[in-house]
Amino acid sequence: MMDVVNESKERINTSRETRQGEKFPLLAAADKEKLVQRYHPDYRAEAYRSLRLGPNQGERTVHELADLLEGESPLVRERSTLSPDRSVDLLIIGGGGAGAAAALAAQPLGVKILLATKLRFGDSNTVMAEGGMQVAIDPDDSPVQHFADTLRGGQMKNDKVLLKTLVEEGPAAAKWLMDLGVLFDREDDGNLSLRSGGGSSRPRLLRCKDYTGLELMRVLKDAVLNEQVEILEFSPAVELLSDESGACAGAVLRNLDTNAYIVVSARTVILATGGIGRLHIQGFPTSNHFGATADGLPLAYRLGARLTLQDTFQYHPTGAIFPEPMAGILVTEGIRSVGGQLVNASGGRFVNELETRDAVAAAVIRECQEGRGVTTPSGRVGVWLDMPMVDRINGPGTLEKRFPNMIRQISRYQIDIRRDPVLVYPTLHYQNGGIWIEVNGESAIKNLFVAGEASGGIHGRNRLMGNSLLDIIVYGRRAGRSAAERAKSIANAGLTLGHLERFEAERKKGGGEAKVISPMLFPDYVRKEEKVKTR
Amino acid sequence: MEDGEGNGTMAAPLAEVAVEISGQRYVVPEAITIIQALWAAGRRTLHGVGCLGGVCGACPVSYRLPNELQAKTGLACQTLVQEGMSVLTLPSDPSKGARYVLPSHLPEKKDLFASYPETRRCTSCNACTLVCPQGIEVMGGVRAALNGDFAACAEKFTACVMCGLCAMVCDVKILPHRVGLWSRRMHGAFVPKPPQLVTRLAEIRDGRFQRDWEHVLQDSAEGANSPAM
Repeated sequence: MMDVVNESKERINTSRETRQGEKFPLLAAADKEKLVQRYHPDYRAEAYRSLRLGPNQGERTVHELADLLEGESPLVRERSTLSPDRSVDLLIIGGGGAGAAAALAAQPLGVKILLATKLRFGDSNTVMAEGGMQVAIDPDDSPVQHFADTLRGGQMKNDKVLLKTLVEEGPAAAKWLMDLGVLFDREDDGNLSLRSGGGSSRPRLLRCKDYTGLELMRVLKDAVLNEQVEILEFSPAVELLSDESGACAGAVLRNLDTNAYIVVSARTVILATGGIGRLHIQGFPTSNHFGATADGLPLAYRLGARLTLQDTFQYHPTGAIFPEPMAGILVTEGIRSVGGQLVNASGGRFVNELETRDAVAAAVIRECQEGRGVTTPSGRVGVWLDMPMVDRINGPGTLEKRFPNMIRQISRYQIDIRRDPVLVYPTLHYQNGGIWIEVNGESAIKNLFVAGEASGGIHGRNRLMGNSLLDIIVYGRRAGRSAAERAKSIANAGLTLGHLERFEAERKKGGGEAKVISPMLFPDYVRKEEKVKTR
Repeated sequence: MEDGEGNGTMAAPLAEVAVEISGQRYVVPEAITIIQALWAAGRRTLHGVGCLGGVCGACPVSYRLPNELQAKTGLACQTLVQEGMSVLTLPSDPSKGARYVLPSHLPEKKDLFASYPETRRCTSCNACTLVCPQGIEVMGGVRAALNGDFAACAEKFTACVMCGLCAMVCDVKILPHRVGLWSRRMHGAFVPKPPQLVTRLAEIRDGRFQRDWEHVLQDSAEGANSPAM
């Protein structure tokens, strides 16, 4: 079996010369739609079901998320007192990029903030973002062009008001980050070095080598700590709290080390709980961090906040699959934006590598389903991502200069991406939809704001590369500002679980049994056998 | 193709290796990371696990291989187990950064010493460089900062994941990773803004794109597939 992989790899290495310079046309709109609908995992009917209760009752989502949304709050069986342990103006739940940006925007307004997070402050999907941040600053580019590209990429399903604000505030967001000390790569003339991503008609990606998210998160975290915002780590929210009118009034956190509840009264709450990768939707591996379990979605849903586009997910086309322990690890789209090619088992290309992610992922799945993939010893099937082509096109040393993180990560598995291609298959990467918000970040429930991946609408049914880092900054700051302003105009309210009683009453009226307790908090990878092997 | 087990466990049986983790011996599949080995050994992880992608710095470990005297360091999510390996998991960076505001001038050495005075004590022992899981030339970065060359220091710390291993081994209690971040922010905040960004901000302020917006919003409202741009 190993020989099959090696033989195929040799074919890639020998066909490189003929593939260099070969043009592969972009798909016509109708063909792309057909490809996506036939092969993209979002269109597998058996993976979906209708929600039986809650604000989106009757609408579809995947089983894994439906179970959590219809799940039972831990407080149904294990009641906590509702007398507040802490009383603050603004509670931010989530310590990734969106939560940090919200804190920095709220702090100058003079509100008392508590930022609670499940792991450590900064452990998030933000820190892992490799590709960059889209901002339309090239003289040949414009926010309008950025809008049009993103709308096309999102299958025209984006919320246009949210999207217009995103792209218009992009340049100001970039300046704000630079004022905080974020270092983006520059050209010799002092201008920012810009690159294209899939679906972008102009070079628009700001980046810090392939460490863009790390650079942002390092700086944001340092800035928040310097502002002396109070941080509570290892304390995820397990339920939100409502006042008599049904508005959000705080949250119940759980101290993960003692299992004790911490009841927080807050005038406003920002959910910045991030993504869903660790749900392993449809069995896919994931590129996401250990805590990406969609916690904010069931919390908001039980409180009555409507979701939007909750049926669509992004499967990043190039997750490594071999050797086995590398499964899910992302190979940045940046590689394809500078000439990296996707090649099937027989050594041929099969898609333009800069189609949007939904189309590239669908094309990879098509190749594998139709027998043109390469099978690994552990039974996974994938196609080759030819990275040595990058140095061949752009000159030796390009990979080393531009993708030091990629080289380092993959070298741990004895693969040198400057010499050899890597086997890839789509990996669960991003939740395209989420909790519905208006342009100031407020959800359908008063005083509950949402920012970042937990929110939905901005990206339509398929996010373009580099738009999520922009999203967390623009909408993190907007949510921070509006939640802080609101907090200054209202008082802390009486705490109730009235929303939970209504949710459970709805369940009794035909919502079916809860299958799980939610939020999930962590995936369970621990081996269950009683007896652990020793030698 | 999708195996239903995600990234946690193996799809097919592999050869096995014997390892010792924090004083207990386990036999686990070979060629998995130390974090995956903890799971395979039935251990729950909460502290000391984060992004699983080698960039959050939550999972530093020290390990020793058979017949090697010198212990090595690494990140548990990025280090593969080997036969006879003995692993000690280490705490995530416990150090606290100095409190500072970005000054309104280009950084000088005295600004660094106001935030991190102990940096002066560097004896050039190079322990920080040897221990860095990212292969950063840590001591070189600290020496550059000591010379007031914050741009050079910033460049050297580009790949820093703030795991804090360098600070743990520093004999004179320097916090090299924090000196690196300080230098990056100070340097970054005062590099002149890119001309193309300055121009674009002015254009947006002056309403330069108003007409284009009207067109594109109208086109997309009519459900046109490809707004003519």
